[in-house]
Amino acid sequence: MNIRCAKPEDLMHMQHCNLLCLPENYQMKYYLYHGLSWPQLSYVAEDDRGNIVGFTLHPPLSSPQITRAKRLPTPPLIQLFHHRRLGLAQKLMDQTAKAMVEAFNAKYVSLHVRRSNRAALHLYTNTLQFTISDIEPKYYADGEDAYAMKRNLSPETLDLPDL
Amino acid sequence: MDPSNQVLPTKENSLFKRILKCYEQKQYKNGLKFAKQVLQNYPNHGETQAMKGLTLNCLGRKEEAYQLVRQGLRNNLKSHVCWHVFGLLQRSDKKYDEAIKCYRNALKWDKDNLQILRDLSLLQIQMRDLEGYRETRYKLFELRPTHRASWIGYAMSFHLLKDYSSALKILEEFRKTMQKNTYDYEYSELLLYQNMVMREAGLLEEALEHINTYKESICDKVTSLEIRGELLLALNRPTEAEKFYRVLIDRNHENKDYYLKLEKALELSTVEQKLALYKDYSLKFPRAHVPRRLPLNYATGEVLEALLEPYLQKCLLKGVPPLFTDLQSLYDQPGKAELLETLMYRYLHNLETCGRLDPSDESSDKEPACILFVLMYLAEHHSHLNNTETALKLLQRALDHTPTLIELYIIKGDILKRAGDLLGAVDAVTEAQTLDTADRYVNSKTASFMLSANLIQAAQDMCSKFTREGVSAMENLNEMQCMWFQNDCAHAYYRLGQYGMALKMCHQVDRHFTEIIEDQFDFHTYCMRKMTLRSYVQLLRLEDVLRSNEFYWEAAILAITIYLRLHDKPITDVTFENDINTVDMSPAELKKYRARQRKNRKAEERKQEEKRKEEKKAEQKKKQSGQDDLENPPQEELIPHKLERPADPINEALNFLRPLQALLPQRLHTHLLAFSIHLRRNKPLLMLQSLKRAWSVDRDHPELHTSFVQFLKYCKDSLPRKYQAPVVTPAESATPVPLPSNEQGSNKPNPTNHHHPSNKHIKNSKDNKNNNKDKNQRKNHHHNHQNNIASNNTENCKTDTNASTEIIAPTKPSINLEEEEANFDAQEAVVVAIIHEVMTSLVGTVDPVKLNEDFLNKNNESLPHRLQAARSMMFLDSVQKQRAIGIATEIGDHIKGRNLENLQTVLEWLEGLECEASPEEILRFKSQSQKLFPRAQIFMSELPQSHTTTVTTTTADGAAALATTTAVSGVITSVAPSITDDEITANCQQYDEVIVNHVNHVDG
Repeated sequence: MNIRCAKPEDLMHMQHCNLLCLPENYQMKYYLYHGLSWPQLSYVAEDDRGNIVGFTLHPPLSSPQITRAKRLPTPPLIQLFHHRRLGLAQKLMDQTAKAMVEAFNAKYVSLHVRRSNRAALHLYTNTLQFTISDIEPKYYADGEDAYAMKRNLSPETLDLPDL
Repeated sequence: MDPSNQVLPTKENSLFKRILKCYEQKQYKNGLKFAKQVLQNYPNHGETQAMKGLTLNCLGRKEEAYQLVRQGLRNNLKSHVCWHVFGLLQRSDKKYDEAIKCYRNALKWDKDNLQILRDLSLLQIQMRDLEGYRETRYKLFELRPTHRASWIGYAMSFHLLKDYSSALKILEEFRKTMQKNTYDYEYSELLLYQNMVMREAGLLEEALEHINTYKESICDKVTSLEIRGELLLALNRPTEAEKFYRVLIDRNHENKDYYLKLEKALELSTVEQKLALYKDYSLKFPRAHVPRRLPLNYATGEVLEALLEPYLQKCLLKGVPPLFTDLQSLYDQPGKAELLETLMYRYLHNLETCGRLDPSDESSDKEPACILFVLMYLAEHHSHLNNTETALKLLQRALDHTPTLIELYIIKGDILKRAGDLLGAVDAVTEAQTLDTADRYVNSKTASFMLSANLIQAAQDMCSKFTREGVSAMENLNEMQCMWFQNDCAHAYYRLGQYGMALKMCHQVDRHFTEIIEDQFDFHTYCMRKMTLRSYVQLLRLEDVLRSNEFYWEAAILAITIYLRLHDKPITDVTFENDINTVDMSPAELKKYRARQRKNRKAEERKQEEKRKEEKKAEQKKKQSGQDDLENPPQEELIPHKLERPADPINEALNFLRPLQALLPQRLHTHLLAFSIHLRRNKPLLMLQSLKRAWSVDRDHPELHTSFVQFLKYCKDSLPRKYQAPVVTPAESATPVPLPSNEQGSNKPNPTNHHHPSNKHIKNSKDNKNNNKDKNQRKNHHHNHQNNIASNNTENCKTDTNASTEIIAPTKPSINLEEEEANFDAQEAVVVAIIHEVMTSLVGTVDPVKLNEDFLNKNNESLPHRLQAARSMMFLDSVQKQRAIGIATEIGDHIKGRNLENLQTVLEWLEGLECEASPEEILRFKSQSQKLFPRAQIFMSELPQSHTTTVTTTTADGAAALATTTAVSGVITSVAPSITDDEITANCQQYDEVIVNHVNHVDG
């Protein structure tokens, strides 16, 4: 296992993993857009062979810098690929959250989850300490409702020694 | 052009301005209306015509657009608007070189036009015209010094040209002007970019000072710490670097690189020291994985065992499915595999006897699920070591324990696949898939296994469970750039002999890369605005080497292989009968057979036609639904039927080869394939160049030997070439394309060229010309045109009675044929001498027969080497076929390298065009191989007729069943008459698809 910040070279592998394992997919340009807009917020988890087994890719929606004129589809915060029970979700979330606070002054993280996606719901609420803040009807293109989830970030602020 | 009617009176002028506005706001219909009004009174107003054309282009009316714009330009050649518009038009068609020319012309008439300059700069950076880019950015900088982007763009243009000092000067000046708030992401990014340039310039001390000075302003703390750590290490100040890595590890316990760098910072050299470090961290961060995993790489023997036990036990108790994957890299280190096996069996024994991992530990709870993970691990372990039966037995025990654990079925599938039981593998993962239909990973795995077993339809149906509704799976997967599927599918089609479809997939993969290179266009402006300059530069560098990606490699290799085959044996629609042994059929049977073939062919054609119609309809629909991506023209449709009848397969192969030569020259097969291509082009020096490059990559590779033999034989038979008087075709004399340097040198990889469509265009026409000439000469026993000489001549003389000649007005005084011939012969002599010298230094001889015999003697116990010796033998003298087959098919116990892959390769050779062994010989080899790999379907002479998959899912049951049985014919990989007519007759009554497949791959 290895958890590190993503580089542009990782973007194609991230797309490949996403296509292999998850139903919501995006074209490469989308990964480029995220990777180039908020490079600090993308973390990848690799297995021992260097294959990507999970990553985060999410805009800092709460940051005062970001204004969302139109509703962009946001990818799921965390994407994990079948490498279970290693605590990857939490570790990825931690790193991303810290980066959100430091680099973008984010006060909270928000995202949407399909109502039917019990696994994701469980992950976010139990492991990653999100709470459900709202239900948005017909949020997804196929008409499914979404849970809006939120997690506050202030306790995350690291006190780094003055180096 | 009449200058007077190019100036508009006030009324029309304001109308014209509104046309421009409408274009900007995408109100195209209105724009056309206004244009009509202007043109009523001023029909020859160039700029209006041009704008109208541009508007039409956005509405998809491309031909009219071009006509109008050209007309407008003709009416007003001095208008920068017209030129600019023309440039925009070219750009939308991705003719970037042309567009650049247009912009430059526009600038002649309005040299300070910001919009044109910006557009030009974008194109220049897209095409990597770095000098041009710098020029343009300088102008922009002059014109708009207050504009932030001007400074950055200008600085970056120097950076990319590696003129670091200029870049840094500008950046520093710019930095001073930036307002600093307490929190400013953009300022932070600028500082980091500035630091990046310093480090690339080698100014490490300055970079360190820089980052220390501004560290408060840098928001990205992680990068700040990482940079300081790295700089201190690079400046040989490891003790200072130490604290940075410790801080970084505190923040992220799971980053391997931090630990490795810390090792460097602490200057740890012995294993003990390293182990001590990780022990510290394991205690400090008990939940961290990396500090417990890394020491396993270093430790050996008893120390390793002491570390492994707690590690394994923790994972087994918790139940970590990917444990084997996690430890797999240890198997490369000597002794560790054995240790792991010992430990695992010990645990197994303990669990079986007393239910605990460690019998002495009375306090620990009995963990019932633990044994499952031990069994799972051992199954994967044995599979890795190719102990198939052991692995399967262990896995079965695991399955008996917990039949609902999906991972087990996937492992089973992997085990069976490794053993060659492709259908069994499909069954296993299909079962997993039914257990959890919402898991796309399992779904993808199932589809992938189906493709390996050539069950293409079933694979598509499987994927369609996750693809968009309303479109076919293939179409959606293509839309989403799903390359793993397209590559696997292409290989499946290839094995089935459906070359057209295979090529279609390869081209689709290639197009994705083109698309991703295109994608960067918008980011040139975007990243400047966002200030994420480091990532932007990294993106540029990534795009430069994009086609070094594994997916492209696989697609390109396959495409080249297919094109070479299509070159050697083009598809003609009457050959299929020859491949079936029709002699044994009675006239009535023959008639029936032919009628059936005709009927099936017609059915197939009807299907294709319908498919085409449907695809066209879908496209129409897309257009009408008003997609605003009209900037990108619809690409030429990929029609399998046409693709597998290419006009110039060698040229197509070269197109796929070029990026490989530029970006993956470290791979042997790049050069081996290059050799194969040049062999068919009769270019001995290029062949030699490829061989030399291959030799420098891996001189001992058996396949290289065969290439050497082919080359030496070619030289023996065809060199020196005889002089042929130049033949000038009308096309050649009409369009003198400026040829780049000598043919010999033109093969040099040019990294920026491989994604320039217009450059490719030029190269294509040149290669096309050469190939046309080649075709003419093929009648004359492969004697090649001396292109170098011919390209400099523009006249010809009637010396060839076959070739059609055209006497054109000579631009030089008439040539002396005898002199030319003497020159040619002299050059050929030089070529022969060079070859002789190089080959002698590489392999010690120019006698292919001797080379092969020596090779065989030296390596007569290695199966892959024997195969290559056999292939070489066939190339040298097909009379030796029996001996060759004997050599390749000897797989007694003294032979090394008898793994599944190698045996499969031998079989493919026996069945393929190169050897065309008899059915008896093939059968004999298969049955021998089967003894070694009893589960491998490919060696079974009679396929399990009763095989059905256990697909119980809701959709596509019928198709799946049908698709299953296509495996009966599908697993056979070539055209050899290993299917008897009786089998066909028996099958066809039930399974139409089998016949369709057979017809298709017989055609190939």
